[in-house]
Amino acid sequence: MQAVLMPVGAELYALGMTWVREVVATPEVAPLATAPDFVLGLVNLRGQIVPLFDTAALLGVGAVGAAVFAVVVETPDGLAGLAATGLPYRSGLGAAIGPSERPGTAGVHRDGDRVVISLDPATLLTPERLRGESRESTVPTGAGQWRP
Amino acid sequence: MATLTRAQIQDLFAQEAAGRLTALDQLLLQLENSGHDKELVVSLFRELHTLKGSAAVAGLDGVSALAHDLEEQVGRVRSGAAPVTPELIDVLFAGADRLRAAISGEPPPPETLRPTTGLTATTPATPAAATPTAGPVAATAAAGPVTTTPTAAEPAPRRAVGPDSGVVMVQTERLDELVRLLGESAAAHLRVGRMLQDDHGLDPAMSPEYNELSRFLNVLQDRVMRTRMVPVSTITDQLQRAVRDIARGQGKDVRWEVEGEATELDRGVLGQLSDSLLHLVRNAVDHGIEAPAGRGPDKPAQATLRLHARQLGSDVIVSVTDDGRGIDTARVAEKAARLGIDTTLMGDDEVLQLIFLSGLSTTDFVTDISGRGVGLDVVKNRVEAARGRIEVRSEPGVGTEFRIIVPITLAVLRCLVVEAGGRRFALPLHRVVLSQAHDTSREIQAEGRRVVWVGNEPVTVSTLADTLGLATAPATGPIVVLTDSDRLHAFQVDRLVTQSDVVLKGLSPLLPPLPAVAGAGIEPNGSIFVVLDPPGLIQRARLTARSVVAPVPTAPADRPHRDILVVDDALTVRELQRSILQRAGFGVRTAIDGRQALAMLREAPADLVLTDVEMPNMDGFALTAAIRAQPAFANVPVLILSSLARDEDRQRGLDVGADGYIVKSSFDETALLAAVDRLLGRVG
Repeated sequence: MQAVLMPVGAELYALGMTWVREVVATPEVAPLATAPDFVLGLVNLRGQIVPLFDTAALLGVGAVGAAVFAVVVETPDGLAGLAATGLPYRSGLGAAIGPSERPGTAGVHRDGDRVVISLDPATLLTPERLRGESRESTVPTGAGQWRP
Repeated sequence: MATLTRAQIQDLFAQEAAGRLTALDQLLLQLENSGHDKELVVSLFRELHTLKGSAAVAGLDGVSALAHDLEEQVGRVRSGAAPVTPELIDVLFAGADRLRAAISGEPPPPETLRPTTGLTATTPATPAAATPTAGPVAATAAAGPVTTTPTAAEPAPRRAVGPDSGVVMVQTERLDELVRLLGESAAAHLRVGRMLQDDHGLDPAMSPEYNELSRFLNVLQDRVMRTRMVPVSTITDQLQRAVRDIARGQGKDVRWEVEGEATELDRGVLGQLSDSLLHLVRNAVDHGIEAPAGRGPDKPAQATLRLHARQLGSDVIVSVTDDGRGIDTARVAEKAARLGIDTTLMGDDEVLQLIFLSGLSTTDFVTDISGRGVGLDVVKNRVEAARGRIEVRSEPGVGTEFRIIVPITLAVLRCLVVEAGGRRFALPLHRVVLSQAHDTSREIQAEGRRVVWVGNEPVTVSTLADTLGLATAPATGPIVVLTDSDRLHAFQVDRLVTQSDVVLKGLSPLLPPLPAVAGAGIEPNGSIFVVLDPPGLIQRARLTARSVVAPVPTAPADRPHRDILVVDDALTVRELQRSILQRAGFGVRTAIDGRQALAMLREAPADLVLTDVEMPNMDGFALTAAIRAQPAFANVPVLILSSLARDEDRQRGLDVGADGYIVKSSFDETALLAAVDRLLGRVG
């Protein structure tokens, strides 16, 4: 399966190619006053205002702080940006070798010596989750089905 | 080509019928004024006949039969077998109403003719606003017809309803899409300009091609905006009809005048205004205008009700003026006093403004006059929803004028741009009461808050950056006084930047609700700024208002690290508590209900649980009981923060094992931190 691999701090996450609309380098981020920590701000994508999320904070594994790259994801509820701290790149990804723990993730993969956690935007980026802010829940969800 | 479904046919019919019903009303009003006019009768007959046929095609036999009945009656007039009488006009108006109801699927209005007194039978569903008057309205028998004097400076464009009129119906979403795309084109255009400059060293202003494109884009923007505009005349028939009905029902002689009906404004704005204007004209005839016998000797026997629309800059002003008895301010003051409002220091004009208070206009204050009591507060709310404002002026014995001021379009929002905490924010101008230089020496302290006088009102001052949770040096700039229609609140900013028209864009549904934020706009250079929502901002400021006399919380470094679990289903409350507690040096985790809180406690214990009561899945009482039931958590203090203020709720909280109970209405940062510190044994 083709995926976009995005570095987030010391970790590597994967997004199925079909979810990704584009990657923006050094996005100009307008902070959004009163928003919770997992919202880095708003990005102007050719006239469209897109929220940019702190990928690490969304997953409950710290915070990226600033986005060097924004991976723009097409969700049923509109475009959303996920912050990456290094250049995202395209790569083939083998089947999951085990379940992942964080809500919004879909399994653990191997890429050479590196561990890659695949993201599931269908559960990671939903209004219900982001409004309910259940990212702090650490109840294991098991390996979800990879959504193409 | 696929054939139309029945639903599609009925949709088409609904569109057609709307036009024909408007035409019917217009023709009937003209017929009433002109007496027997053969051409009008023929037109009326034709409209009914066509409507009958179309309804039959759409499979709406009931509508078709109704139209047929009316057609028969007009047919008798056409053939000379029956005269045009006021009674016949009444019957035809009532028939048109039944047709309208049948087409829209509403229950039909009663078949009775208009009653000679009272209005409730003819306007059962529409709450009407009321103007206080000196006494009950006496319906007398001296009924006169309502005459129309068109005084419009410019002729109003007649609406074409025929198929050959060259009019295309377009969904407003499509127009909105055009506006959006134009905005993007304009932004792309600016980017091209920057690219010419940066990459090719060309000054775009010196390029005829570039300038031509700029010009076309501007014209295009103007034209697209115009497609959303409709003339005020699109609602004046409906208003005239209401005036006519009520005047006739109450035996009043009213001349209806319209001026400036060609004035155009955004379809959305006009739509939001039409109900309010209907309220106001009904009100004027019902309460403001006296019966002929009650009008003073210095007044013409025929009363005048005038609607005047005009454009002033980017606003449209619509006024409704009557030459009736005026508003009795003594009576308003008397009613206000009953509600506990002290009017002794108020001038007449201030007292007059009280009629827009909800408590005032919905009490017997109006109902004892007319039996109907939904008030001017509704009108005011609707006008404000259209980003406008309403003013009233009245003189006893001379008349009353209501003036509605709205922006021409909702597509752009006029904003005051300010800087706070090093960032720019836009404040919608219709919520800005005033902005002025701020002299801290004139600040007063009341209930632990900074206060300034605005007119006769003490207004709390907050620092905008503080309210928004931005770390900042104390502001020294001017204050901006905002209103949420009930109260005023002043915000101190770093500086005022400019006024600007903003194309407001809503935020993504993926973002949590942010009550203090209305949306965002894009500057010509492509950068984004946040547009604040004053009512939400004021609410937030009230919750975060920090007591100026509050003891400064102990420095975080002095304290051992403590973790608090905040449980609340409301994001705003949750985030507010998080920020207060984090600032005070606590570690904070949050949960959205009792169930999640329990799961999180099992993962990692907390030193204190701060919980709301009313939450889905598991409420705060159940959570407290569950915590107490588990030996591992038995010693974790639980502090309940609830909007339930009754003693029995408080008792129940303590019964299930809570260690403290704070009522949200009395909640402030100091009280919360004091309670937390007490329970964690850090002070006292």
